[in-house]
Amino acid sequence: MGCCWGSCKEDSASQGGDTNERTHLLVDPVSNNTPAQRANSDDFISRYPNSIPKKTDEQSALSRILQETATNVIDVAALDSHNLEQHEYKERSKQYQQRLLMQGSSQRWHLSAPSLLIDIPMPEKVLAAPPLSYADMDMISLLVQNANFALEELKVEHREDLVVPFRIP
Amino acid sequence: MAEDMKKYLKQLLLRVDNLLCILITDRDGVPILKAVNDKCPELAMRPNFLTTFAMATDQSSKLGQGRNKTIICMYSSYQVIQMNKLPLILNFVATADCNTGHILSLENLIEPLLGELKGAVIES
Repeated sequence: MGCCWGSCKEDSASQGGDTNERTHLLVDPVSNNTPAQRANSDDFISRYPNSIPKKTDEQSALSRILQETATNVIDVAALDSHNLEQHEYKERSKQYQQRLLMQGSSQRWHLSAPSLLIDIPMPEKVLAAPPLSYADMDMISLLVQNANFALEELKVEHREDLVVPFRIP
Repeated sequence: MAEDMKKYLKQLLLRVDNLLCILITDRDGVPILKAVNDKCPELAMRPNFLTTFAMATDQSSKLGQGRNKTIICMYSSYQVIQMNKLPLILNFVATADCNTGHILSLENLIEPLLGELKGAVIES
């Protein structure tokens, strides 16, 4: 009688949500949740058949992290891993030369002469050029003279003492 | 065209005293254009010597101080200056007493040349 009562009591307790010594502390996650989740994911897949599965997303995120880490690591051991073969080197060198020859450009490659003295092709022409007129020369010399006077007239007018005594206690 | 470029590079080489060679290569050390003095050491122009720069510049760009642009190596009798112009690499070999600043200032004069040369490399 008591046993029967007990089991009845347990049922009612678990249904009612009260806790006693017979209630499970841990709810069974597999029996409770999985069917619902499965139903959900099935629903999801049937609704969106073209969407990317979640697993590949994770995989790509992981591989991206791996890639980033690999690019950020200073890998000294891998420094001398890549070397060109001799024939490959020659072939590529030849290829570059050919491409350069084929490549046309309008730009002329020349450096401006570093010295100030430059050859003149026809010196007679330069030498036979009409000389500067006297009026121009007079004006130049007058202006230079004026500038010279102005510079000489320049004076510093001091109003305050150059040496200032500090009041050191 | 290619001859013009070579002549231009040769003129630049003559501009700096004790500069022995200007070498424009791809990142595997394959030369595209070069101007070389007779005194230039053969070893400094080998591809396996030149390629180390491509890797060193990649790795040193990870040190948290921005992208590496130039590496200057001073040896007892020579100096080697390499500039990162990827996909091209600019290499200068000079004697140890050569003015490094003068070599570095050539960069601006070579820059327009690189634009033309890049076309030949990118296609490969």
